Amino acid sequence: MRTSTLLARNLKWYWRTNLAVLLGVATAAGVLGGALLVGDSVRTSLRDLVLARLGNTDYVVARNGFFRENLAAAFAAGTPIIATDGMVAHPASGRRALAVQIYGVDQRFGATPAGQQILLSAALAAELGAKPGDTLLVRVEKPSAIPLESLHGRKEDVGKTIRLTLGAIAPREFSLNPQQGDVRAAYVPLARLQQELGEIGKVNTILVSGGPLPDARGSVTLQDLGIEIRPLKDGLSLETDTTMIPDVLAERASATAKSLGLSTEPVLTYLANSIRANGREIPYSVVTALDAPPAPADPAGITLNQWAAHDLNAKPGDAVWLDYYVWRSDGRLHTESAPFRLAQIVPIAGAAADRDYAPEYPGITESNSLRDWDPPFPLDLHRVRSADEQYWKQYRTTPKAFIALARGQQLWGTRFGKLTSIRISPPSPAFADALRAALDPAQMGLTVIPVKARGLAASQGATDFGEYFVYFSFFLMVSALLLTGLFFKLGIEQRMREIGILRALGFSIAKIRAVFLLEGAVLAVAGSLLGLAGALAYGELIVLGLRTWWIGAVGTRLISLHPSIAALATGALAGIATGLGAIAWTLRKLEPVTPRGLLAGETKHGSAKPRVIIGIVAAILACILLAAALLRALDQTAGFFGAGTLLLVAAISFQSAVLNRRSSAIVGGLTTLALRNAAYRPGRSILCIAQIACATFLIVSIDAFRQTGDSAGTGGYPLMAESVLPLIHDPNTTAGRDALNIPPLPGVQFIPFRLRPGDDVSCLNLYQPRNPRILAPPAAFLRNAHFAFQDSVPHTPNPWLLLDSQLAGGAIPAVADANSMTYVLHLKLGEDFVLNQTRFRIVAALQDSLFQSELLISEKNFLRLFPDVEGYRFFLLDVSPQRAQEVTGTLEEALSDYGFDIQSTAARMAGFHKVENTYLSTFRSLGALGLVLGTVGLAAILLRNVLERRRELALLRAVGYRPSHLAALVLAENLLLLLMGLATGTVCALLAIAPAVSLRGGRFPIASVSLLLAAVLATGIGASLAATRAALRSPLLAALRSE
Amino acid sequence: MLDVSQIAKTYPTPRGPLTILSGVSFSLRRGDAAAIMGPSGAGKSTLLYILGGLEQPTSGTVTLDDRNPFSLSEKDLAAFRNQSIGFIFQDHCLLPQCSVLENVLVPTLVSKDGAGAKDRARELLTQVGLSDRLDHRPAELSGGEKQRVALARALILKPVLLLCDEPTGNLDQASADVVASLLLELHKLQQTILIVVTHSAELAARFPLRYELRNANLHPAGA
Repeated sequence: MRTSTLLARNLKWYWRTNLAVLLGVATAAGVLGGALLVGDSVRTSLRDLVLARLGNTDYVVARNGFFRENLAAAFAAGTPIIATDGMVAHPASGRRALAVQIYGVDQRFGATPAGQQILLSAALAAELGAKPGDTLLVRVEKPSAIPLESLHGRKEDVGKTIRLTLGAIAPREFSLNPQQGDVRAAYVPLARLQQELGEIGKVNTILVSGGPLPDARGSVTLQDLGIEIRPLKDGLSLETDTTMIPDVLAERASATAKSLGLSTEPVLTYLANSIRANGREIPYSVVTALDAPPAPADPAGITLNQWAAHDLNAKPGDAVWLDYYVWRSDGRLHTESAPFRLAQIVPIAGAAADRDYAPEYPGITESNSLRDWDPPFPLDLHRVRSADEQYWKQYRTTPKAFIALARGQQLWGTRFGKLTSIRISPPSPAFADALRAALDPAQMGLTVIPVKARGLAASQGATDFGEYFVYFSFFLMVSALLLTGLFFKLGIEQRMREIGILRALGFSIAKIRAVFLLEGAVLAVAGSLLGLAGALAYGELIVLGLRTWWIGAVGTRLISLHPSIAALATGALAGIATGLGAIAWTLRKLEPVTPRGLLAGETKHGSAKPRVIIGIVAAILACILLAAALLRALDQTAGFFGAGTLLLVAAISFQSAVLNRRSSAIVGGLTTLALRNAAYRPGRSILCIAQIACATFLIVSIDAFRQTGDSAGTGGYPLMAESVLPLIHDPNTTAGRDALNIPPLPGVQFIPFRLRPGDDVSCLNLYQPRNPRILAPPAAFLRNAHFAFQDSVPHTPNPWLLLDSQLAGGAIPAVADANSMTYVLHLKLGEDFVLNQTRFRIVAALQDSLFQSELLISEKNFLRLFPDVEGYRFFLLDVSPQRAQEVTGTLEEALSDYGFDIQSTAARMAGFHKVENTYLSTFRSLGALGLVLGTVGLAAILLRNVLERRRELALLRAVGYRPSHLAALVLAENLLLLLMGLATGTVCALLAIAPAVSLRGGRFPIASVSLLLAAVLATGIGASLAATRAALRSPLLAALRSE
Repeated sequence: MLDVSQIAKTYPTPRGPLTILSGVSFSLRRGDAAAIMGPSGAGKSTLLYILGGLEQPTSGTVTLDDRNPFSLSEKDLAAFRNQSIGFIFQDHCLLPQCSVLENVLVPTLVSKDGAGAKDRARELLTQVGLSDRLDHRPAELSGGEKQRVALARALILKPVLLLCDEPTGNLDQASADVVASLLLELHKLQQTILIVVTHSAELAARFPLRYELRNANLHPAGA
């Protein structure tokens, strides 16, 4: 006989109890392992999705503008494509899909649409209801090297519509952006798209597969970067296809020229609507700003050529006015005037006769006459005189006036640059190569993006589903562990006499505990091993839930279970540890009972006093936390969890004290007898109450956190809109509406936001956002202080104004929604998000707003950081809710060419809330599973109590109790425990959520919570009735005879 | 030698302390066998459990071979019980999950002196007439047989003091006779100090020393 023999005998003999313990541990281990598996599975599924959709693509070489298609040859396995966003309309069904990824591809890409055909991704085809042979209209933004928000940018026709025939469904899904949703993509023949966009032989993207990060420097030409070096008679002219020289290029070009011993002359040429003096005016004249003659050194001065001076009858010292257009960021063309003093008059010779100061303006410079001009701004041809035509014919773009460069930049400098060209002299063939070597292509917008590495990093996810489901399953695990402890406790109590015998035979408490712990360890290990299978099943169940019932939380059906050894091992080890912990906790009660008491089957009742003390301390601490949460000195969530836990501890301690108190009350009826019965095994009763109370607490409190479709986060704007193509004009003005073909809409106010597309930073995006979407509201919006803030640093009445503040270290102040900041970006107020070496510091957090998908920065900072991003693509619409539908129809129709999509802000909020509510539903469902386990525990206790008291019940029958009396007795005892659990959980939950409910306006979902509690009560009564039935079915009188 | 001096035991109750034993004193030497009788609730079992170190007296001392069990640590007290005391209860208190032989060997699991225990267990079981039931489970034995297993278990580690609480209380007359005979026979063989608490006058009559517990104290039977 060895201890192991005794152990084996024990395990075998008490197999029923042991099986229950084993199943309890298996449940806990399975739930934990399964929850962790879900995290791994979501990550792996996202990873697989990235890899499948990228195919062989590891890197992307891309530029805002277009570059040579042949640049692809410089990269190993480089595939040139055009990638842009657009919309696809299906005339047959009248449906249209916005924000579609449009790819211009050829055979190098793989799946290639033939001739006039288009391929659609399966999801897009289904959305449009299109079938092969159907006609589709694809509309994309027309590329324009010249910025739209500049005088010479063409604003009226920003899109291009292409008619194609649906060839087939694309055989593969392709997406450069990590996204868990369906791929909505259209594949257009590359050559056709190039032709339609006027970019023959050019692309904007190269897909590169394999190898290290490609270095574009060696292969990129200046032309690929939109830079042109034009040879002149006595030098070179550095120009760009945008007509403006970006500051960084200007700086590099000057430095390069200097390094080669060349001189530079910065040039800014502009078109003046009028040159006025002495009551005369010259229409539409080229004016050049220089740092050198013939421009005056004095910023207030102006030089006129002889032709202009003569035409104006001007002489040195005369006042001269320049009238000119400027495009302001408010989406309007303004006519402004600047006064000058005529400094000198120069003949049209030498530098003053240089017609190459002007860059090439489409619609102007190539025209043979002024009347042939087709500029992208209003032109009054009636003002053009024959003399003007004569000048144009003779001198073309030769400037009629020169001003100082500094003054010119002050008047006409833009965010796109402050020069139109740079003169290099003498002409040096080495300059072009030196400049190319000196330029970082990335600074000119041509970047190499490691899309695969970035996608894989993003697939780690914004949300750790493993962690979430561990939280969600926490109560289920606790229930399983409580049940484990409960069953083990029942087993121990069943074996009290055995323990007594062992002690009488000389076993020390430590030895007995060691034997039982060893027994528990075997059960815990076996249970955990069984839990591995349970983990797989539970993980599969949750993943199935995420694909179906809880799809609102993930927004994709492409999640599948990916078992991982780490998750399973963690679950198993945690199962062993927690199972052993629960067993050890049960065994702690062995010591205080004397061997004689054990032999008599006695269990020690605890003292009431320490329980009362614990209860009072916990209650006081809970009150402090509640008060702090109500006064906003403590975070609501921390207040809820802290106060809730303490309240539960307090309530259960008080009840434990009551049940442990030796009652001196005389049993006066079935109810007091039931109470006495419940107090006979106080540990069991408290475990039961605790389990039901915890479940009830969870379920009641979760319902109170459920988000409803309120409009608090909409800022009072009923509608919001987003366009595929940018709107350059201001729709709030008559001119802007005319330009956009919008009918007058009285009472409708547009709040236009600049938008830099990027990763959604809301809970709708499962991937970790690396490149967040950024919005810039107009300055007027900031002053009006719409939307509620959760907090800001520093505290201020209108945190929007913090966006205009200057932060130390050059960080850009940004506003984020509190939910996105905390749960997706994992940032706190005052922390930075770094994007391309720019630090965005969160200075204020919006409270549950519609801006959950983006960061918001000031328009000023936006224009500085993203000068290439033009126009407005996001709008809030201030309109009376009654007119919302009418306005939606009108605007979507009028702005259909822009892909203008209006959504109600309430629907937007509901979309976010759906995710949150789905999480809560998940939490509640798993909590309900915990409640099921609690009910199992209750039933087990009831049955156990009934079985142990068979003789007592038989005696009662012997002295005249009817079966109905016994049923009432058992039911009363069970209901007592049930009601104590329900009342404890409900009251504690109501108190704990009071701060949250108070801050949300005092709403509480009474109906749903009442219904839920009724269901729990019904379940408990069901369990009670089952136990009662068992009690009545057992041969009670036989129990008496067995004496 | 067992020395009991001025043992008292009171229990707190809601209505004040309840005195069970008061000033109990006696001495027994190896080879002595005593029966203690008394009405139910007189404190016989309490006295027995105090002698066995299972329950602490309120006052007074107990020494067995000059060792006071209540001065020992819990661990040493357990070892003391294991080595020096054997118990037999009215309800045999066998482990239902273990065989007859295993039940007898259970005390050896925590004994430092377990060498040859198995042989001794077989020998004891032979002596109590159960050599052919070694692998049987308690549920397969009669009441008398179970009590004989309990007797063998009590003697497995050659205790100095053998304490029996109503050892024949649950047995029929024939079985009770067998158990009583075995008890006395083995006691004589092993020279233990044997104390039996019983209601049975017939069993008590077989003991050379007989006491009666009355008014919380021990009196010679018939005195």
